Amino acid sequence: MKIAVLLKMVPDLVEELEVDSTGKALDTEELKFKLNEFDDHALEEALLLGGEEDEVVALALEGEGNEKLLFTALAKGASRAVQLTGVQPGGSGEQATAFAAALAESSFDLILTGVQSVDDREGQLGPLLAARMGLPCVSVVTGVSVTDGGATVNKEYSGGVMAEFEVTLPAVLGIQSAQQPPRYAPVSKVRQMQQTATIESLTVGGAGGGAESEVTAMAPPEVGASAKMLDDAAALLEVLRGEGVA
Amino acid sequence: MRQGQPADRSDKLPTRFARALLEVAMQKPLASARPLVNIFHTFIFFGFSFYLLVNVVDVLEAFVPNWETIWQGPLADGFNLLADLFSVFVLVGMLFFLHRRFITKPKVLEFNSNVLLHPGVAAGGVRRDSLIVGGFILLHVGSRWVGSALQLAEAGGPDPWLPTASILLPLFTEMEPGLLEQTIRATWWLALGLILLFIPYFPRSKHIHLMVAPVNLALRRETPRGALDAVQDPAQPGSTTLAGLPWPQVLDAFACIMCTRCHEVCPAHESGTPLSPSALEINKRYHINAHATEVAASGARQNMLEYAISPDAVWSCTACYACVQICPVGNEPMHDILELRRSLVFDGKMPDELGEVLRSLDEQGNSFGESNRRRSKWTRKLNIKDARKEAVDLLWFVGDFASFNQSCTATTRKVAEVLTAAGVDFGVIRKGERSAGNDVRRVGEEGLFESLAEQNIELLEKCEFDRIMTTDPHTYNALKNEYPALGGEYEVVHYSTLLVELIEGGAIQLEQPLAGNATFHDPCYLGRYNGIYDAPREVIERCGLALVEMPRNRENSFCCGAGGGQIWLNDHDDMTQRPSEMRIEEALSVGVSRFLVACPKDMTMYSDAAKTSGHEEEIVVEDIIDLVHSAMGIEGVAA
Repeated sequence: MKIAVLLKMVPDLVEELEVDSTGKALDTEELKFKLNEFDDHALEEALLLGGEEDEVVALALEGEGNEKLLFTALAKGASRAVQLTGVQPGGSGEQATAFAAALAESSFDLILTGVQSVDDREGQLGPLLAARMGLPCVSVVTGVSVTDGGATVNKEYSGGVMAEFEVTLPAVLGIQSAQQPPRYAPVSKVRQMQQTATIESLTVGGAGGGAESEVTAMAPPEVGASAKMLDDAAALLEVLRGEGVA
Repeated sequence: MRQGQPADRSDKLPTRFARALLEVAMQKPLASARPLVNIFHTFIFFGFSFYLLVNVVDVLEAFVPNWETIWQGPLADGFNLLADLFSVFVLVGMLFFLHRRFITKPKVLEFNSNVLLHPGVAAGGVRRDSLIVGGFILLHVGSRWVGSALQLAEAGGPDPWLPTASILLPLFTEMEPGLLEQTIRATWWLALGLILLFIPYFPRSKHIHLMVAPVNLALRRETPRGALDAVQDPAQPGSTTLAGLPWPQVLDAFACIMCTRCHEVCPAHESGTPLSPSALEINKRYHINAHATEVAASGARQNMLEYAISPDAVWSCTACYACVQICPVGNEPMHDILELRRSLVFDGKMPDELGEVLRSLDEQGNSFGESNRRRSKWTRKLNIKDARKEAVDLLWFVGDFASFNQSCTATTRKVAEVLTAAGVDFGVIRKGERSAGNDVRRVGEEGLFESLAEQNIELLEKCEFDRIMTTDPHTYNALKNEYPALGGEYEVVHYSTLLVELIEGGAIQLEQPLAGNATFHDPCYLGRYNGIYDAPREVIERCGLALVEMPRNRENSFCCGAGGGQIWLNDHDDMTQRPSEMRIEEALSVGVSRFLVACPKDMTMYSDAAKTSGHEEEIVVEDIIDLVHSAMGIEGVAA
């Protein structure tokens, strides 16, 4: 079995986010990026699914920090790592086109990606990619088991309702969570990979992304008025009287 | 041993052995604990050492015609007197130990029920071994002692040079000469023949410690306690097999006398977790004994996690060094555990919560998962120099806990206010300081430790300063003992030492001294690892408080339970009481209401422990800087 995992870096929300001067995007100057946590779960699920003879290939678009990302995937146990070049980073549509072009060249049984990311809250990458490639797609997946010629996939709905799907392979799955917490890649192992392993490079054409949504404005949320702690019932009464309620 | 990994202990061999022999002769390695037991051990030690000579003399007496010692002049008299007295010493000592192990059975000789034991150990092997060794010594020395009384009977009367044998004499004066002669021969054979019988068992028994312990002590580690061994093979760091350990740690198993002193002082064992450093050494030994030929032929390749120590136990260690410090034969069970951790972490086998913390340390440079830009948030309104931008005398490496932890930042601010009031030219690295990595290394994440250290060293190279100061003993240890190997050599000072300097130099005037008494908890990485015991005590007393020591103090201090990365891990399910809570109770038992610390992690641990153990009203946890701040009469600035 051949499993592809799509990885990408997203802004680290631990840092304070600022909107840049255009008012339409984040100021990336001071921003720190990290692996999208759902992609980390996708990678973990792929590694859990992949046995001795299976191949798990990690793919990422060219970009700052992505090499370390791919070496980390190798350190965790991925069989190969591929960086896609020749693509201008854009929205989910453009990314889907680029990945579709890269994946078309080899026959994967499963294509896993994170269900969403902080810059793709709608979780479009998976469905768009599936559409480009003409493959079935299930999103918000919390468990995968491969059967003969297909896969049984658990999907989570709002309110904790679970559904089970039978999917024919190949298929694209948007992973919500792996069956185990994503493993930690020891830095010594990542460093070792950086010295011994190579990241393959694959040039894909800069085909357009089709319909994209456009950001017209971006702003930090407005801070609500702060809460006031009252000492006793008398204070409460006073507030209520002041508001004309009592 | 030959299968173990290389470790160079061949420097200054004569000095090493001379020192070890001297220490053994003084019985110094025992001195840290169990004074009563030590007296009886000393009896046996001197008695048995003298018996080497006694045995030689006895052999000569049997085989050299006319060789006798009774009534043979002052030299022989002296020899007889010593042999006579030492026989009784050994017998008394041995009876004490057998009584202790089989009658009084102190609980410290037992393992927690959740500790992994080799089947041989679980079947009572240690007790059986003790009985055999004890029985051998009793028979060997006892027969010789009775034998000399019989010889007196043959010689015809008591001898003042054999006082105790003379006491036995009346038992045998009525014996007929033929039987007497036979019995003398029998006691000779029991005394000396028994040695021949015992020789094949000797290397398998714990008794071999009398040979191996001095060697182990002589070949001990001479690098600083706080500097771990470098990784031998970066492609496969650490080890889960005996063959992968440095050879001196294989030798440890043979030196072990199975006294369990190490687990008596171990905070993990004491709090009910499945870790016993003692069981680790004993299990190693039993494994080697049981698989001697196999180990010799194909190597000690079996996974130690299967027979020597459970993974849970590996993750229970606080790396507090108490087991190594207390061990009378120079064993280092803690170092085995840290090698195991290196290997486990490299294979990704670790508690889930640890992975989270390590990820955060890798990505953010701190263990709190906070943006590293908030590291100097505590400096608000304090007007502290940025050491990256201007030269300072003292560069303050603040460290994770003092920077981020909410129970610590008030203390951190006070340190800054005291330094400012004392006119010290100091600064912090406002941007870019990362965790020093001391505990990252102790959970076994060697690569991350190196990465953190390299980034800090690079940053420090850009700053101009004379000395580095830190309040965190863990940080202190890493900067002082571990950074030099990576190219970062600095003069590092702990704030307790600096405070003494400033007080003595008059820069700090303690004009409003405090009153009352207090106790002080020695942080492991300040005390046991780096030998700083007096500075914090000096500060406390200069501030006017009377210091009341807890029973476990200075090098016998009891770890708060946070070291070795435990502060990031969940308590083990089997934990009966947290070490920090035991410590709070220990402080209350000496009648103090002030618990003083000199480590940010201790501040966190003990403020929590005072609450969780329900003693919040009775005892207050304070940092030594609180005293100085207060005795200087500083008005703090609100953050």
